[in-house]
This record gives sequence, structure tokens and C-alpha cells, in this order.
Amino acid sequence: MNNKKILVCDDDPGILEMLELILEEEGYEVVLEDKSVNALKKIKAEAPGLVLLDIWMPVISGDQVLRAMKADGMPMPVLMYSASTDGKAIANAAGADEFLAKPFDIDVLLNSVSRLLER
Amino acid sequence: MDEITYNTKKATGAKLDLELLSKVMDATNTGIVITDNGLPDNPIIYCNPAFEKISGYSRNEIIGHNCRFLQGKDRTQQQRQTIANAIANGEPCNVEIRNYTKTGKLFWNELYISPVKDESGKVTHFIGVQNDVSSRKKSQLELEMANSEMEKTIEQRTQLYKESQEYLTSIVETIRESLVVMDKEYKILSANNHFLHTFKVSLNETKGKLLFELGNGQWDIPELRKMMEEILPTNNPVLDYEVEHEFPHIGKKLMLLNAHRIELEGQYKDWILLAIEDITERRAIQQRKDDFLSIASHELKTPLTTIVGYMQMMERLMPENATDKFKNVVEKTGRYVQRLNQLLSELLDVSRIQTGNIELHREPFDFDRMVVETIEGMRGASPDRTIELSGKTEIFYNGDESHLIQVLNNLLSNAIKYSPAKSTVGVQISKISDFLRVSVSDQGMGIATDDQAKVFDRFYRVGEVQRDYPGMGIGLYICQQIISNHGGTIWVESEKGRGSVFNFTLPINN
Ligand SMILES: Cc1cc2nc3c(=O)[nH]c(=O)nc-3n(C[C@H](O)[C@H](O)[C@H](O)COP(=O)(O)O)c2cc1C
Repeated sequence: MNNKKILVCDDDPGILEMLELILEEEGYEVVLEDKSVNALKKIKAEAPGLVLLDIWMPVISGDQVLRAMKADGMPMPVLMYSASTDGKAIANAAGADEFLAKPFDIDVLLNSVSRLLER
Repeated sequence: MDEITYNTKKATGAKLDLELLSKVMDATNTGIVITDNGLPDNPIIYCNPAFEKISGYSRNEIIGHNCRFLQGKDRTQQQRQTIANAIANGEPCNVEIRNYTKTGKLFWNELYISPVKDESGKVTHFIGVQNDVSSRKKSQLELEMANSEMEKTIEQRTQLYKESQEYLTSIVETIRESLVVMDKEYKILSANNHFLHTFKVSLNETKGKLLFELGNGQWDIPELRKMMEEILPTNNPVLDYEVEHEFPHIGKKLMLLNAHRIELEGQYKDWILLAIEDITERRAIQQRKDDFLSIASHELKTPLTTIVGYMQMMERLMPENATDKFKNVVEKTGRYVQRLNQLLSELLDVSRIQTGNIELHREPFDFDRMVVETIEGMRGASPDRTIELSGKTEIFYNGDESHLIQVLNNLLSNAIKYSPAKSTVGVQISKISDFLRVSVSDQGMGIATDDQAKVFDRFYRVGEVQRDYPGMGIGLYICQQIISNHGGTIWVESEKGRGSVFNFTLPINN
């Protein structure tokens, strides 16, 4: 697991691009994935220190990805985010380490990221 | 009941049989309330079942409130001043005052108020004893009326009666709502054209039949039957009762029912008027609108997240030597993005409430700490304003903390927005019986009695406020939903020109 590497999975290219800029600016190595169906494979291959996951994605939702990660025994922490109001409950039920409501504050996001990576 | 022990300890000197006392309070037909004079605005800390019965309000809606809610909008009675003076002087008083039940029905309240004093002579509580003396008042008034009545000639009255009859008939036939009149056995005396049209039935199939036997028994619903059976003995109307049913001829429909006892020339006839409205289409449109709101605001949040992100990056990446003009533009953009975000959350809140999706995530939390921290946050956002906190509850409350923070934030920001720049905003918290009460007071322009109930309506904005403070006007509506989801009540005590106090109560044991 690489403690400087973060994988972001979101179907919205705008969010991916924005998160890439912010996280790279902080000195993290960022890997992007816009198709949740590929997420599991990619996480396995890249072994990032942290995964950022959107919840509502077509075909496979974020919580399904997380459940598959757990079933596979993947150890890295996962931060989920969503604009939907039941997002927090979904993230908790799936066992996410943290949840942020959209739109999130950058400072809050970066705090969570560094805290989760230190674990 | 521990308040009672406290009150009566001194009076008897001996140990009172509390159980007996409370049985008496439960059994009597006389309303009894106790208020705490040590707390702001004399909130009710105890009421007996008879008080609930007389007023039509439940205990949840009573504890923590000042008794004046019984006066409805009828606030100019001179008795009110009599009471206020007696309370201020710590003296007993006795008045007959017009009060209103929850359904708005007038009753004459024969009210005794007496102070309870401690050893030092300080008034700690007041006890109020209420009797509904409407029937006595009514016969009094009727007697007074009788003389003048007699002067009217029979002829005049017959003429009048005829005219009003024709008048009535034409209204009943033109109205675009189904109306049915029944006798006290629920036998149908008449039905208007709209009814016959809507349900595709003839007058023959309807007139003389029992309501509960119409069609395929669509109105034979135990709950509705029970409410209908209570109309005549209690005079409680059936209000906005929804029936969804597969009707013969017209299929599945959602109907809204309202039923009242018919009152003619001030005399009660034992008849019932039932109004039926087909709201199937309206509800479907509402649902589509809600779905749209919910999807739209959700979809808008994604690009907004991107904008907020870039916005904040722009602030971070701002070059040292950027001009003030440039900094100002960035700062302003940031502020309006925040505003957009706020509006979107409100929109989402509304659609969530409408679809009944405002879910509570209850967890015990330190109530006083929550209040202190929320006030701190508000002081940070408005550093030039004074917010004073008094009282404490010392309760670990089992509720949805983030939603309650939202309520308090809303009340605080309203208090700040709608009051003069230098004035103080007060927050008072207390534990009253098994309720928490929070009061937020301001020294603003106050709210007229007519507007007081309406401020909690969706999209409601007081005219002049609309002009000065743009926004959607749904903050208080959301507050009300959140508080009532917790089983509490929220209300405002205010008078034009004298500031407002927004209060809410929360039951501690839920
Ligand atoms: C113990 C107690 C019981 C009261 N009961 C009633 C009541 O049943 N009906 C009513 O209209 N006012 C009642 N009041 C009076 C109102 O609470 C209030 O004191 C009155 O309207 C005068 O104050 P205001 O001018 O601030 O409204 C009661 C007051 C006390 C202290």
C-alpha cells in the first residue's frame, strides 16, 4: 500500500478533475477511475493508501464497490461522499471510514484525507 | 408530579397523600394548570386531563407554553390586562375570558388564578383553575337577545328564511365540491349535483340511503365512522381526512373529507354536512413536483461541488501580489457560491420534507453543550452582535443533533436578521417537567397576531420582510417539521413593535 497514493472513483469527470488538482497540489499521487465496474481491479493493481468513492454511480454503486473490497479483504480506508441525504446512512451501513456530504469544503476534505492516510 | 409536592408541602405541613391528590386532579372536570413563575413568561409545568379535554390540546402541546395560547387571535380583551396586573403583583384573580379550543371553537373560560409563595413570600408558581361556562354564558346572552327577537314579525322571518333557503340551494348546486347532508342516523337527506356527477350515481340511489352503505361500502371505514360518530356529541368536525378507495364506476381515487355539524340561525340542528373533494390528480402532480425537486437539487449539487472546489483552490492559489480588486472579486464569487449552496440545501430540505423523508438519526447528546456551541458558531459569523445565553437543562437528549442545530441556527440567524444592529439576542433554555424548552428572543419589529401562525408556513414571508431579506422563506417551515418529528412544538410569542420570542419544546422521554 502506498501512503501517498489516492484512488478516486466517480462517474463525473468534473469532480475527478477537480479532486485531482486539489490532491496533487497537496503532493499526493492521484489515480482516477470513472467506471465503478473497473474500480475493484484498479484498486488491486494500484494498491493506494486511500480510496475516495462517490455513492451514486451507474451500474455499480459506491457502497457495492466498498462491500466487494471488504469481501476481498482489502485493508485501505475508504472515504465516501454523496449529495444525497441518505448518503451518510448508506456509507455507514457499507462500513465506510468516513462520509462527506456534497458540496464539501476543501479543508475538511484534506483533513480527513491526511487523517485516514496516517492510520 | 414532583412540582405538586413542592407546592403543597408548606400548605399542609403534613405529608400529603400524593397518589390521592393526583387521582383527584385526574378525575375532576375542572381544568388545572401550574406555571413556573421562576422561568421567563410563566410556562405551564403541569396540566391535568380535564385541561386537555377543555382545550382540545394534548399535553405535548401545552407544557412549556404560556396559557395565553388559549386566547387565539382574540388578544384585545380587557380581562387579559386584569390577569397581567394580578400576575405582576403576585395576587390572585378571577375572570371570565373568551378562549378557543384547538379546533378554534370559542368557549367562555371562568378562570381563577392564585399565586403560590415560598417562605420568603416570593411567588414561585401560579395555579390556574378553568371551567368551561359557555352554556351558562350562552343562555345569558340568549335571554338578552330574546326581547329584541320578539319584535321581529313572523312574516319578516318567513321571508328571510325563504330567501336564505334559495340562496343556500344555489350555492350548494354551483360549488365545485361534492356535498352531502345527513341526519343524525347518517341517512342522506340530500346530495348536490357535483356529488352525483363525481360518483356517477343518481339521486335515487343516494337519497334516503345510509352513508356507510353507499356504493360498495366505500365510506364504511372504522376510523371514519368513529370520527363521524363523534361530530354530534362533541361538535368536533372531521378535518381533511383522506380516503383512498377503489370506487364503483370511477376507479381508484384519493378523496379528502371534511364533515361538520350544521348550525342554522345559531341553533344546532342534528345534521351533518359532508364535503368530499377528489384530490387524486392534485396529489399526483404534487408527487411529480417533489420528485423533480429532489432530483434537480441532487443533480445540481454535483457541479456545485466542482465549483466550490475550484473556488477554494482559487483562494489558496491567490498570488501574493494580486490586486485588491482581484481579491475582492474572488471573495465575492465565493460568497455567492455559498449562497447558491444554501438555497439548494433548502430546496432539497423542502422536497425531503414533502416526501416525508426527513429522517431522524437519534443519538443521545449533551443538549447544553450543543446550544453553547451553536451560539459560539453564530457569534463567530456575526461578531458584532451580542447573544446572551441563560438557563440550563443538564440533559443528555436523545434526538437528532444536527437537525436541532439547524433549528437553533435558523432561529438565531432570523433573530439577528430581523432586529436592530445594536440590540441583544437572548437564548433561554430550561427543563420544564419532562420537556426541554428553548426560547430565542429578539428586539425586532415583532409579528402581528394574524401572521404568527403563518410564519411557519412553507414559502411564507411577511410582506415587508420579503423586500429587505430575499430568500425562500422556508427556514421556519423546516424547523417546524424537525421539531414536530421529535414530538415537540414550536411557536412564537410576539406583539407588533415589541420583539418576538420563538420557542420550542421537546419531550425528553420519547
Ligand atoms: C396559572 C395561570 C393560568 C392561566 N390560565 C389561562 C387560561 O386558561 N386562559 C387564558 O386566556 N389565560 C390564562 N392565563 C393568562 C395568560 O397566561 C397571561 O398571563 C395573560 O394573557 C396576561 O398576560 P399577557 O398580557 O402577557 O398575555 C393564565 C395565567 C396563569 C399564570
